[in-house]
Amino acid sequence: MGSHSLNPLAIILIASLATAFFFIYGLIGWNMLLSFTKSMGLITSYELAGLAQYVKAGSDAVFHVSLKNNLMLITLFIPGSIGLGLLLAVLLDIAGGKGEALYRTIYLLPFSLSFVITASMWAWMYNYSYGVINTLLTALLGRAFQINWLGDPNVALYSVILALIWQFSGYTSLVFLAGIKSVPESQINAAKIDGASTLQLYTKIIIPQLKPWILSAFVVLMVFALKAFDFIYVLTNGGPGVSTYVLALLMFRRAFFETDFPYGAALATILFTMVISVVVPYLLLSSRREEK
Amino acid sequence: MAIKTTYAVAIAVIVTAALVGGVLYYYYTTVLARPRANLLEIYHWWTSGGEKAAIDALVAVFQGKYPDVGVIQSPVAGGAGYVMKAVMKAMVAAGEAPDAFQVHAGYEMKPYVDAGYLDPIDDLWSQQGWEEVFPPVVKDMVKWGGHYYAVPVNIHRANVLWYNKHMLDRYGIDPATLETWDGFFEACEKLRAAGISHPIAMGGIGKWEIAHALEQIFVSQGIEFYQDLINGKLTDPNDPRLVRALQIFHRYLDYVNPDYATLTWDQAVARVIRGEAAFTIMGDWANGEFLVAGKVFGVDYGAIPAPGTKGIYVLVVDCFERPRGAKHPENSIKWLIVVGSKEGQDAFNPIKGSIPARLDADIAKYGPYQQQAINDFRNARYMAPSIVHGSGAPEKFASAFNDISSAFASNRDISAACRGIIDAINAARDEYVKEWRLY
Repeated sequence: MGSHSLNPLAIILIASLATAFFFIYGLIGWNMLLSFTKSMGLITSYELAGLAQYVKAGSDAVFHVSLKNNLMLITLFIPGSIGLGLLLAVLLDIAGGKGEALYRTIYLLPFSLSFVITASMWAWMYNYSYGVINTLLTALLGRAFQINWLGDPNVALYSVILALIWQFSGYTSLVFLAGIKSVPESQINAAKIDGASTLQLYTKIIIPQLKPWILSAFVVLMVFALKAFDFIYVLTNGGPGVSTYVLALLMFRRAFFETDFPYGAALATILFTMVISVVVPYLLLSSRREEK
Repeated sequence: MAIKTTYAVAIAVIVTAALVGGVLYYYYTTVLARPRANLLEIYHWWTSGGEKAAIDALVAVFQGKYPDVGVIQSPVAGGAGYVMKAVMKAMVAAGEAPDAFQVHAGYEMKPYVDAGYLDPIDDLWSQQGWEEVFPPVVKDMVKWGGHYYAVPVNIHRANVLWYNKHMLDRYGIDPATLETWDGFFEACEKLRAAGISHPIAMGGIGKWEIAHALEQIFVSQGIEFYQDLINGKLTDPNDPRLVRALQIFHRYLDYVNPDYATLTWDQAVARVIRGEAAFTIMGDWANGEFLVAGKVFGVDYGAIPAPGTKGIYVLVVDCFERPRGAKHPENSIKWLIVVGSKEGQDAFNPIKGSIPARLDADIAKYGPYQQQAINDFRNARYMAPSIVHGSGAPEKFASAFNDISSAFASNRDISAACRGIIDAINAARDEYVKEWRLY
């Protein structure tokens, strides 16, 4: 076989990619089309209705709540997961040697569990009367400090975010730990010879070099913050009231519970646009970096 | 390099075309040409132990009559069909309807009927004599535009107050005093004074558990009020009946476990079983929880209509229908005949814990709670379709009703809730196509 012959595996790969391309992007396209039509309920029509479904989103009070909650996830959940992940990674790095593999497994475990399982578990921990968290608070501070984690609309979203940070920080710590390991030994030794303290070593030498790792974790977290669904569906179902609704949950409710498919399609398209506007710049940025 | 890429793309296109073409060729020449297998494919959400045994018993009746038909059950797990609702709408819209699928009678059928995905089965109804054996409101629940579109298989009752009999005995509370809200709250007060701080158990993690309780309070405000509510006829947020219902719920919540937002309905029932609470309002699928815990009806626990709803049977009804374009339409009809038959219903319901939708069931086959329920059903002064369980009101209202109930449980704002109910009715205005006649 000469170097010009094509690997048959490559052909199959390309063929299946082409098929997948059709089924994924074709269906995304169909979903977008649906959002602009005069379809009603389960009746599909291809007569165009313009932006009617998007105008509907503008006047849907729950849409505004959901959008706000997605933004809250972005502003609290992402920095929280990155911050905690960084802290864990540094601690793991310092501890080094023995226990590292064990701790790494322990930290990654939450991320490998299904959201449905962890959400049910958190529901127990957040239980007002018997939950482990309120039991601890009562033991430490007294009854007055019990918090109605999931029953108070002013608290519930923060409870969701706290639990999500727990679930994701193991993953981010692993990403950052890999980043820390990739810092050249020579730089670290040089800093040590210059008399840098451990704190200085991390803040001045190592963490500044983690930028690409933080960026990639950021994009993953961002996409999750936008499409978050199952964890919230199980933990609060958007409640109390509508206080923990997010866009994906709203889309599911409107499309499948109220059989408003075109409106569901419009919400999906809005969500898709938001995700794309995060992912595409990242891909462009990282491909440009590779070219360098 | 460029040539190589062009080759690769060209070969990829050819391979893709060959693959797709091959599959299509196979499908049209082999699959379609083959004599169609004699099958019946049904979808339902009865996946838990007792539920599965019940549907298996119904399928066994079918197979006894039609041994040559192979039955494919496709159960979709997920409480109260929340998951299957999504699956089925997607399947039906894609033209892949099975031969029959479970659906709640009433408004949950509407999207399918509107889009023409169900066949009317009026002939079957008259031929099987079903007109005579189902009560009027139940018949109305599967009727759209004057045509029958489904056959009810069972009835669950929504307006049931379950109580821990030992607790009531210990504190000298006579269940007969629980028929009114005043008597009920007096009993709650008595229990609280005796140290039971939260005598009512309620769940709420899925929101509907809260809406379920509020729905029964709505029913207690009179059948006229409830009919106005489900017909979308309420317009005034200051309607005294509406306000009064929310006031009752406000008081009700004072006695509810504060951790309701993290509990499922069965965890709430477990509080009553363990004696941590004396009462819970839940549909009569709760009976199974007591049985599994080894409790005896009339000895360890009891059940009466929710306060203020005596003589009213709030209906939760499952049914099957014939989807248009079903692959085995004859078997679909055979299945519906079994589903609607006395034999089929008396095989399914004793195990499921519900009662037959027919009025001529063989009462001896049922457990003590179900016998009481069958008597209540036969002697009910009024029947009313549940909103929360998919029947009474448009889906859009039912969905909003869950959110409103859940919000009220935490903010206790009566005027906001009343306003919310009226707004939700107005938002679903176009979808109130049914005119319920409950009295």
